[in-house]
Amino acid sequence: MRRARFLLPIFALAAFCGCDVPVEQYPANQLHALVVATSRHVPTEVAAQDSAAVVEAWFGTPIRPRWPVDQMSGAAAKQLVDPDHLMRAAGRVYSDQQNRHFGLFNEHCVTCHGVAGGGDGPASLLQNPYPRDFRAGVFKWKSTHRSSKPTRHDLTTILQHGVPGTGMPSFASLSTEDLQALVDYVIYLSVRGEFERGLISQAVDTLGYEIERPDPEASLTTLLDPTGDSPAESSDAMQVARQLLDQICGEWVDATAEVIEVPAETPDDAESVRRGRELFHGQIANCVGCHGPGGNAEVATLDYDDWTKEFTTRLAITPSDREAVKPFRQAGALRPRQIHPRKLSDGVYRGGGDGDTLYRRIVGGIAGTPMPSQIIAQQATATGLSQAQVWDLVHYLHSLSGVHSLSEDQVEQ
Amino acid sequence: MNQTPPTETSADDLQTAGDAAPPSGGPAADSRWLHRLSLLSVLLVWPLIWVGGLVTTYDAGMAVPDWPGTYGYNLFLYPLSTWLYGPFDLFIEHGHRLLGAVVGLVAIGMVVAAVVERSRRWVRWLTVGILLAVISQGVLGGIRVLLGDRTFAMIHGCFGPLVFALCCIAAVVTSRTWWQRRRAVSATPKPLANWVVVVAVLPVLLSYLQLVLGAQLRHVQPATTPRTFTLIVAVHIVTACVLWLLTPILFVLVRRCGDLTLSRPAGWLILFVGTQILLGTGSWIVNYGWPSVLDFLPFGEGFLVRSKGFLDSIIVTAHVAVGSLILATSAVVLVQTLRQKYLVAHESN
Repeated sequence: MRRARFLLPIFALAAFCGCDVPVEQYPANQLHALVVATSRHVPTEVAAQDSAAVVEAWFGTPIRPRWPVDQMSGAAAKQLVDPDHLMRAAGRVYSDQQNRHFGLFNEHCVTCHGVAGGGDGPASLLQNPYPRDFRAGVFKWKSTHRSSKPTRHDLTTILQHGVPGTGMPSFASLSTEDLQALVDYVIYLSVRGEFERGLISQAVDTLGYEIERPDPEASLTTLLDPTGDSPAESSDAMQVARQLLDQICGEWVDATAEVIEVPAETPDDAESVRRGRELFHGQIANCVGCHGPGGNAEVATLDYDDWTKEFTTRLAITPSDREAVKPFRQAGALRPRQIHPRKLSDGVYRGGGDGDTLYRRIVGGIAGTPMPSQIIAQQATATGLSQAQVWDLVHYLHSLSGVHSLSEDQVEQ
Repeated sequence: MNQTPPTETSADDLQTAGDAAPPSGGPAADSRWLHRLSLLSVLLVWPLIWVGGLVTTYDAGMAVPDWPGTYGYNLFLYPLSTWLYGPFDLFIEHGHRLLGAVVGLVAIGMVVAAVVERSRRWVRWLTVGILLAVISQGVLGGIRVLLGDRTFAMIHGCFGPLVFALCCIAAVVTSRTWWQRRRAVSATPKPLANWVVVVAVLPVLLSYLQLVLGAQLRHVQPATTPRTFTLIVAVHIVTACVLWLLTPILFVLVRRCGDLTLSRPAGWLILFVGTQILLGTGSWIVNYGWPSVLDFLPFGEGFLVRSKGFLDSIIVTAHVAVGSLILATSAVVLVQTLRQKYLVAHESN
């Protein structure tokens, strides 16, 4: 015992600095519980507590994550993620003699995205834009329609290429296996987070949670003890929970079918750039309204992304009202920050700048932001663009950033 | 064991009390090997800090799961080919351990040299302190591995610069110039005021505070709140600016005494802290992207962070290593300031 005394100052110092206790539980989504409570005027403490317990029972912990195949009905959903990949991405950071890295999410992502992928990691507050909150199931950079989930390929591409102009790095140096493990873990966190959000909402809206639990048939606690007296398999709570999980997983499974088709590119010539310029500054596309003349971003705008609007404008709260926002910040929200339209003349496209990607960006918009999607028709109409017109816009955008061989002056001529 | 023969004690006391009066032949000549080993320790510990920094930058701290051995082998018997041609993480982690072991051997050599060469008593204790510090640092690294605990990695990272600073002090106090200061003191146009010592202490404290804050950011825990992290970043930046403002003041103050051994390191300190601020900014950029406060610069738009890129890793690791250099230089300036004060007092007496 005496011999161990020399270690006392070390342990005291460790206690002072904050011990590296493994995070044993995912933090509960208090922010969404508060949003639901504010929007429905119903206390959500019990609903949030029971939802968190169900989510942990079904999805496991940061040390032992699990994919709840036993609760899913679709075969494709069961194979959506590889449980082995989840174990590689979760837990503490180490590597072996074969250079296989473990704890990949903790090694590469957790400082910004947080333990539960809530976009609220330690360094999040100092990033602009804030890191993505996976729990809403909304992703900006993807090849699919605005309301659809991204494909695995989309997530892999973002991991490989990074997002220029933001804190999101390029992980091009990682092996394919490591990247796929991270993609699986991101999907897992997103499904888990969206399921938790949905369960809190459903507990209040459908199951009748208020200040106390509803009757056992509708109580989420029956899901925690299926061997008990309660008829868990047929209970309302079980049906609601499984239906919700199937719906979320189904959206991920269907993502590949939701990819925006890109037609053959039209000729990239001066005439196309001129037409694109007119469309950019015209009434139908009206890109100039936000991005400014020539995409110079010199337009005064006041808008926020959907993650911020969720706890502010959609609850009739002014984002700049510090007192009104304070409870949400205490529940985990980051400080509301305006979103600004991109300057298009510098050639920096965060989600990729090749022709196909820009085509999809114009058609699908950017989910979670004010950038809208477009209605695409076979022929140009007064309210929608044709496929050829979208390509004209793409050619004009390329010309702005110098990708196109023609300068602005030549286009003017 | 600890008792010294009466004759030696009196000689020691004479030397300790009157550092300004070297015995015949001069301690610089007598402590030749100790000085050489001290210099060697400085030349080894700084690269050791670089390699240790790389270990953290590449998250390679757990590339070898056991300690003190390496994958079941004795530290020195791990197959060379597996080490050199194996994974990079294993290469730097095992290399870090080997270099640490070499530093340990040099520290033992310093103690032996100090005893054999009958150095001043407090110098002997300094070498013993360095040896204990090196051993403690190794044990801290071992605990970090065995417990898989990042907090111990942080403590290990904070303790390394202290070892480096001690080695630098040992190199300075065993050098020839330490004794030649007498002549310089005789010609000192203006003795240092007492409060200059206070100004010299501040960079030591502030630079170590910076190291601790930096370690908190580098080994940040997943459960740390964004507000806490932001607060640490803010304090880190403000302290860096205060430190940089302090260094020219210190330089001007110590320059008045006309002693180059004092003013030179004080001048380097200005350069080191300025470089460190640039490296810190670079470290943030390569880790977290271009900060909004630097949006006015034209080349930041579209900057892409590359995870564990080589140049990026070097910038981050250089920030760690220069932090240690600043602490050590501050400590040397402080020791030289105290020496100057002591010699002036001795001369006047």
